[in-house]
Amino acid sequence: MRRPLQITLLALSGIGLLRITLFGDLYLRYVKEGMRPLLIASGVVLILLGVADAVSYGRRRADDGHPHHHDGGHGHDHTGGPRAAWLLLVPALSLLFYAPPALGAYTASREPSRAAVTPRHDFDPLPATSPLPITLSDFALRVQQDRSRAIKGRTVQLSGFVTAGKQADSWFLTRIIISCCAADAQSVKLRIYGPAPRPDTWVAVTGTWHPAGALGTRSAAVALDARSVAEAARPVNSYSDDLPLVPTR
Amino acid sequence: MQSTEERAVEAETADLERVTGAEAGPGRRRSRPLLVLGMVLVPAAVLYLAGGWLDSPAMKAWRTVCLAVTVQALPFLLLGTALSGAINAFVPARVFSRVLPRRPVLAVPVAGVAGVVLPGCECASVPVANSLIGRGVTPAAAFAFLLSAPAINPVVLTATAVAFPGQPAMIAARLLASLVTAWVMGWLWLWLGRAEWLRPVVRHTGHETGAGRWREFRTGFQYDFLHAGGFLVVGAMAAATFNVAVPRSVLDVFSGSAWLSVLFLAGLAIVLAVCSEADAFVAASLSGFSTVARLTFMVVGPMVDLKLIALQAGTFGRAFAIRFSAATVVVAVLSSALIGGVLL
Repeated sequence: MRRPLQITLLALSGIGLLRITLFGDLYLRYVKEGMRPLLIASGVVLILLGVADAVSYGRRRADDGHPHHHDGGHGHDHTGGPRAAWLLLVPALSLLFYAPPALGAYTASREPSRAAVTPRHDFDPLPATSPLPITLSDFALRVQQDRSRAIKGRTVQLSGFVTAGKQADSWFLTRIIISCCAADAQSVKLRIYGPAPRPDTWVAVTGTWHPAGALGTRSAAVALDARSVAEAARPVNSYSDDLPLVPTR
Repeated sequence: MQSTEERAVEAETADLERVTGAEAGPGRRRSRPLLVLGMVLVPAAVLYLAGGWLDSPAMKAWRTVCLAVTVQALPFLLLGTALSGAINAFVPARVFSRVLPRRPVLAVPVAGVAGVVLPGCECASVPVANSLIGRGVTPAAAFAFLLSAPAINPVVLTATAVAFPGQPAMIAARLLASLVTAWVMGWLWLWLGRAEWLRPVVRHTGHETGAGRWREFRTGFQYDFLHAGGFLVVGAMAAATFNVAVPRSVLDVFSGSAWLSVLFLAGLAIVLAVCSEADAFVAASLSGFSTVARLTFMVVGPMVDLKLIALQAGTFGRAFAIRFSAATVVVAVLSSALIGGVLL
């Protein structure tokens, strides 16, 4: 691999990293928010490396009347860079021109819903607002572990994206959660009874608990009877289980 | 503006052709513009033709995971290669011979414990270990460092504590099992290792005369990064393939049997290639499995996974990477089963 190509590669990788962090939020499709400063720093370092190499390359060619003498002597290490480096072009160009979307229904449909987190006993009373905004994980906790059955009869509102279910009468409201990068994605799914919207659309759902099993125990179904389903805006950071944004009317 | 730039580029290209032509003969000179043209045209054509295929849901998920692994690892790889460049350029070899015990048998445990100082994930440790060998550190000690650093540094242990709240035994077990594996592998290398499995260390420090240390640092840094970066992409592609091709629902099949689940999670750690700073959270989420199996996941993961094997193959050679990774998996599984059995 020749010097100018190495320089291009370093610069492209650096610009790619800056493009997804400084000029937009694309990095949130791949990693957590906390990586941003590290990615920006890496982008800057890569660009600096490229510039420094370009300067030294330019200077060397200007200094040297007989470049072949110099290069052929002992410096061929520099011009003959590592061949494997070509592969870096793939992520660099992909970041710049062809960034893939955040994980969605395809991934969620192939994974079981994340197992309920640590057991909880101390549930605060629910606020009186109706519909009650709640996250998917909280809803699952309330349904399966809250002995006081505070969720009974309440109209709740949740948001997430649509994953098709195997049964015709229901679908899954889904959130994907990552702990480090998209490679360790886990999905939280909530079965919704009602007509299914198009997979991968973001929706806000209002409804009540789908009565099946004993509420407040493991036997309770983590499911909702939908009263209304409205399209919602995709959140900037889609890898989180947040309260629903107020749907745009 | 653009036309001036273009002219400048053209001039440079022409100039360069003269250079390469003089260096490598007319054959090279011919192929060069073709190569550049191909570089632009081939990906464009591939993208155009395969556009539909690349945009299928499975391929989108694959591209996302592949890019995610690469983006997540790049800062740490950069840190590792910068450190390795700095060690080569600024740290004299005598520092290591003074710090480490002279006898390799004793140097191994010291180097293993020294892994505490490298805060980062496994991508950083490969280039650093390589530069340690380049500075005259005995390979066995460098390998102990290579294995222990990503598993026992404070960042990773803190993440483990957060992921397993109220279970200090898990942190202790992870620390101990990782250290023991690193030591055993170091001693195993002393006993059975052969120098010819290792690719001779290529150093780009051939011209000390007139070349400043900074330049030595910069060129070493750049070469190592580009080299390791290419292999990182290979590893990310392999990990993404497994990630997309093997659905997680397969997990449930194995969670029943104690031994199978240990082996299965060891295998999962290898193919998932999750960064060592995050693997504790993944392990915590695998709640259907025994604690020993989850410990195995956290001990094997930072030491052997697809992107690490690719990185090691690139740095130390394929003959080494295959033997070393295979042995490490066996030792890591045994030590986590033993230590997990006692502590957990």
